[in-house]
Amino acid sequence: MHDMRFTLPGQDLNREPFALKSPDFKKKCEVMITDRGYKCRITNTVPISSQEKLFLLRIVDPVERQLFNFRPGQFLMLEVPGYGEIPLSISSDNSNHEFVEICIRKAGHVTSAMFEARQGAIVSIRGPFGTSFPMEAMEGCNVLLVAGGLGIAPVRAPLFWISNHRDKFKNVYLLYGAKEPSHLLFSYQFEEWQKVSDIRLMTIVEKPDESWKGRTGLITALFNEFSFDSKKTFAIVCGPPVMFKFVCNYLDGKGIPMNRMFVSLERRMHCGMGKCCRCMVGSTFTCLDGPVFDYWSVMNLKEAI
Amino acid sequence: MIYKVISKTEFRKFIDAIVKHNNAYGPQQVDTGSGGKPIYQFMPVKSSDEIDFDYSVTHSSAKHFFLPFRDELSRFNFEDGNWEQEVRYEAPPRILIGLRPCDISAINMLDEVMLNGPYPSPYYLARRKNTFIIGMDHLPLPDCFCKSMNRHTVNHGFNLFCSDIGDKYYLSINSSKAYSFLKEFIIEEPSYEDNCLLIERRKTIKQSFETNIEVTGLPVFLDIEFDSPIWQKWGDKCLSCGSCAMVCPTCYCYSVEERFDVDLKGSSRQNHLYSCNLVDFAQVAGGHNFRPRKGDRLKYRYYHHYRGFAANDNQQICVGCNRCGRACLADINPKDVINDLRLERESCMICVLPSPDKT
Amino acid sequence: MNHLGFKISKMKIGSFDFTCCEGCQLQLANKESTLPDFLGLLDIRNFREISSERHDDYDVALVEGSITRSDEIERLKAIRAQASVLVAFGSCACFGGVNSLKNKIPAEEAVKGVYGDKKIDTMPSTKISDIVTVDFMIPGCPVSKDEVERVVIGIVTRSLDTLPKYPVCVDCKQRLNTCLFDLGEVCLGPVTKAGCDAVCPSGKTPCLGCRGPADDINFPSFLQLVKDKGLSQDDMREKLTFYNGFADYLDHES
Repeated sequence: MHDMRFTLPGQDLNREPFALKSPDFKKKCEVMITDRGYKCRITNTVPISSQEKLFLLRIVDPVERQLFNFRPGQFLMLEVPGYGEIPLSISSDNSNHEFVEICIRKAGHVTSAMFEARQGAIVSIRGPFGTSFPMEAMEGCNVLLVAGGLGIAPVRAPLFWISNHRDKFKNVYLLYGAKEPSHLLFSYQFEEWQKVSDIRLMTIVEKPDESWKGRTGLITALFNEFSFDSKKTFAIVCGPPVMFKFVCNYLDGKGIPMNRMFVSLERRMHCGMGKCCRCMVGSTFTCLDGPVFDYWSVMNLKEAI
Repeated sequence: MIYKVISKTEFRKFIDAIVKHNNAYGPQQVDTGSGGKPIYQFMPVKSSDEIDFDYSVTHSSAKHFFLPFRDELSRFNFEDGNWEQEVRYEAPPRILIGLRPCDISAINMLDEVMLNGPYPSPYYLARRKNTFIIGMDHLPLPDCFCKSMNRHTVNHGFNLFCSDIGDKYYLSINSSKAYSFLKEFIIEEPSYEDNCLLIERRKTIKQSFETNIEVTGLPVFLDIEFDSPIWQKWGDKCLSCGSCAMVCPTCYCYSVEERFDVDLKGSSRQNHLYSCNLVDFAQVAGGHNFRPRKGDRLKYRYYHHYRGFAANDNQQICVGCNRCGRACLADINPKDVINDLRLERESCMICVLPSPDKT
Repeated sequence: MNHLGFKISKMKIGSFDFTCCEGCQLQLANKESTLPDFLGLLDIRNFREISSERHDDYDVALVEGSITRSDEIERLKAIRAQASVLVAFGSCACFGGVNSLKNKIPAEEAVKGVYGDKKIDTMPSTKISDIVTVDFMIPGCPVSKDEVERVVIGIVTRSLDTLPKYPVCVDCKQRLNTCLFDLGEVCLGPVTKAGCDAVCPSGKTPCLGCRGPADDINFPSFLQLVKDKGLSQDDMREKLTFYNGFADYLDHES
């Protein structure tokens, strides 16, 4: 008589080798513990306005620290244990492996927890995820960096890249607009960008206060102040959708090809890995095919703007 | 694939043997609807007597065996100003009995999204690897339209598939595990007659479909009709209750939540199956909602299902089981919506007018 | 929990009842498995059901019950003045609750029916947000202890999230329940706020909407649905008015 106690043998994925290594988010198409991030310490916080703070994070494990390589424009998922996880654009210099800088506006309870956390507190990051600005393709050309409000945070990463490889680019312009003068972030770096990195910086605000001596109006007004060779110019535009719609349409009129203008879209990612569908725009996911899109793709995406 | 035949009585013995010592789920009648129609669900079973082999269709799909409605992704344990993250993919072996070809196709589609994307999901993989699937064919219900989606047959993604050929089942054995179990029972090589019966059975199934939806060219249609008034029309009916997505075999959208333990010594990160029809699906920090209107959210569900997303190679992910149509209280179903959409375009005045003369 | 380095202090809580059955407050003592830990989060300053000690230095006030007497208004305002966070606790506080059924008949008739010729000071049952500002609502008849735990933890750890915005159907489908409409019943699941884990429909009892309306519900479509299914309009109306949660929708309709 046969023994008919058929029991299915179980497969324990927890014991498979990938489950023991630290995840390498750049290596796609390989099973890994995608829910585990890199532990990192909040080493410093810099208040940059009444609502925003810049956080310097340092990955605790030295091996993981080297694994975390990103390109300008990519984002990461910041986990504050107990509070939740949020997507954030990386605003630091990608050649600096020691620290990751992120700029946070206090909005929900995860960001509030970050604001209250002490120096040295340990949080976790996953990533980097998403597409990046094609910096190499811009070499030998002019670059227009256009930022509105908190849009300066993602623009900072390509700005660092350009500063590090300044000789490879022709004229670089940074056009930066905000609602009020106090909303202009990173003003302590303006001089450095202008003098050290040879970037032509122009700022403008919508609602000036008494002390404001600069330009007043919408960001598109800044385009009247200089001219550029549209055939040899790339643009990086970050800010609220209304802004980049106007800016890109204007630049389109000036003759910059649509596939040379890059925008960064913001949606609420929950997974960062193209699974949860929360960040879908039209038929694409912002987390996989974005956040950086060229304007041609954005134009073809339903609902993007 | 190995083909064998097994008598129905012997098949029951086989099922009894494998369900006895494993976690097994099979179709069971759970209720009788007000029209006298039986309502089935996949329920835990301990013997073949508990399984309704000749069931029509389950109300909810088998999706939640692979993508649970709520699933713990990881735990954080807090200690001494630090924390440790614990990630586990627990998936005890399981047997699913009686899945329809469309259900299996749906799982194959989920494989595509969950395993063949850039970031394969270990949670899904663990469950998929540890699940033994026995499929069974059936005659379509009047509202099934899987043939239109070309999902009325399936040739992979299961361990064993049974076609009903009268007194016997015609078995398609697709895994060594299934074969080594079946070897212990009386199985025979299919005879010429059995093969004829199988062909006959397939023909009957194919010819029994009453509902057909024309889906060719639908992706372009959907793109063109993105701003069509029909979305508002159906949106006005939609209750935004998410029932369709919950019973759907391929809807996989989720949200991630994090919760503290009551003792505050740890927290749990969970994903929670969500629906693009729910009001806050596209809401971002600060409260802005990218899709505040019901019609827009409903449209997205159709968009995902019939146009396809880049993440799944722009494939249509609907399998045509019409569970969403049956579950919808507002009587929204793919057939009517898609026909409405086509009608809208095809009755468009400009299209039917003769082209103006060249001047 | 000190991994972020900020101090978590116990929540100074006061629990108060107005016109109600005090069943929601009783829920605070439910769910024994986590009860010690739950109480560990609280510094109970005022809670007559479990302690005779009364202090008036609470920060968070849980207010159960609706307002049906003029003296209750003063008491509620005093609680509001003390509490930094006022939570409407249970369906009576949130919507007026079952007590509001009496609003549908003349007051004298109601008093006579219940108390005979005894003189009773009474006014129409109102929800507490008609009188004071409410910071957070935990609806339910009774409230769900799981949800209370989540809200309390949220307040203590400063991670208070919103209640689910979607309807009960989501939870109900997740429990693989048979839709009660398929069994020929009127169920308020499609329009009621989720978060109760669909307890009633899971026990084959139609939802009576004790948690009030979900966000952005499609009320006209719901009415149409009941009509199309040929179900009793009276039954539906009775359910919709039961906890008074749908008053705004019903007023708007008529």
